[in-house]
Amino acid sequence: MEKQAQMRKEVGNACFRKDKLGAAIDSYTEAIALQPNVAVYWTNRALCFRKKKEWTRVEEDCKRALQLDRNSHKAHYMLGLALLEKEDYTGAISELGKAWDIMRSIAPHGEKADELWRVLAKAKFMEWELTSSEHHWRLQNLKEVCENAFREYSFLHEESGDSAPNYLSGQLQLLNEVFDKASRADLPTDVPDYLCCKITFDIFTDPVLTPSGITYERSALLEHLKTVGNVDPITRQPLKESQLIPNLAIKGAVQEFLKEHGWAYNMA
Amino acid sequence: MTSSSVPSRKVLSKIASNRLQKEVMEWQTNPPAGFKYKVNDSLQRWIIEVTGAPGTLYTGETYQLQVDFPEHYPMEAPQVIFIPPAPLHPHIYSNGHICLDILYDSWSPAMTVSSVCISILSMLSSSPAKERPADNDRYVRNCRNGRSPKETRWWFHDDKV
Repeated sequence: MEKQAQMRKEVGNACFRKDKLGAAIDSYTEAIALQPNVAVYWTNRALCFRKKKEWTRVEEDCKRALQLDRNSHKAHYMLGLALLEKEDYTGAISELGKAWDIMRSIAPHGEKADELWRVLAKAKFMEWELTSSEHHWRLQNLKEVCENAFREYSFLHEESGDSAPNYLSGQLQLLNEVFDKASRADLPTDVPDYLCCKITFDIFTDPVLTPSGITYERSALLEHLKTVGNVDPITRQPLKESQLIPNLAIKGAVQEFLKEHGWAYNMA
Repeated sequence: MTSSSVPSRKVLSKIASNRLQKEVMEWQTNPPAGFKYKVNDSLQRWIIEVTGAPGTLYTGETYQLQVDFPEHYPMEAPQVIFIPPAPLHPHIYSNGHICLDILYDSWSPAMTVSSVCISILSMLSSSPAKERPADNDRYVRNCRNGRSPKETRWWFHDDKV
């Protein structure tokens, strides 16, 4: 039984490599029928559905896979993509976040973890876009209501003298300032320089400190050490990979900043 | 050498185009004094106008720099040349090639187009005489097949000029 299922899976993999998705799905389905408790058969089939953009099927298969193996980063990842398709951003972010955590524990500085981070950042940005435009719209409404209330109030109390129009315009200006401040955090501006790598110019994801006291994005700096030479890019002091220290303070500052300014996720 | 001879025109990597977009934005809000970026639709080739600084041999003269970015910018230096006619300068060849260490051996990914421009302007400003490098004719002859200055084994003249 086990062997037969394994064989079905091999056939499925071969079909998948040749881009024969229908045939691959059939083979994985047979493997699942023989041995429904192997998570990989489900995730492999989900991968086929993902290629065919049949997202509900992706979601179903990934959920089954996760019941069998909660640490399947592939299942978390594809489930995240399926939820993103459905515009369920909260769900997508949770799944992609789990996939990223698992990936980081397997290969902390690999390309796959970086790629996952980019997908996660994109999901967070989409969530921010949605919530910030809702928030903006609600603020705008509230502002109009307040303005009208002021106008009505001053209209009803007009007999109180000549100073009324001045009083009203002063109040309206103050109101404007208050609402301006409230929406400022949602306005995309620049990420402060100290949160950006001097090589990529992007906000940090994995900042490392060199003995010269300068912080770089780990992947960019490693690329520099490999292709350009063993020196600090700014100070040109000799530098080896083993001397790098994770800069946890900056990492924390980045997370704080992103929490307040969701637009900054838009960098991937 | 014509302005179109570029060694390889591979598309920019994702890191490169990301970073160049940021450099364009930074340039627009904070351009280096004496330089004008001539807008075109290519991120991979910038044409920049330089005006000689006041009080130097090149006061009021304008020249054009052509900056081409390799696929793996900023790990690899951009190719920076003057579009002829190039300024008369002991480190600038008549074909527009510039002998400046940071463009070759001393490039660092922490440098930017803006910082390179400032170095070039300061090289111009400190020039003692308007003349070509001593080996100009020989060098330019060797480059006739359209060789990139990045393939030259530079022998940096000195760092005083």
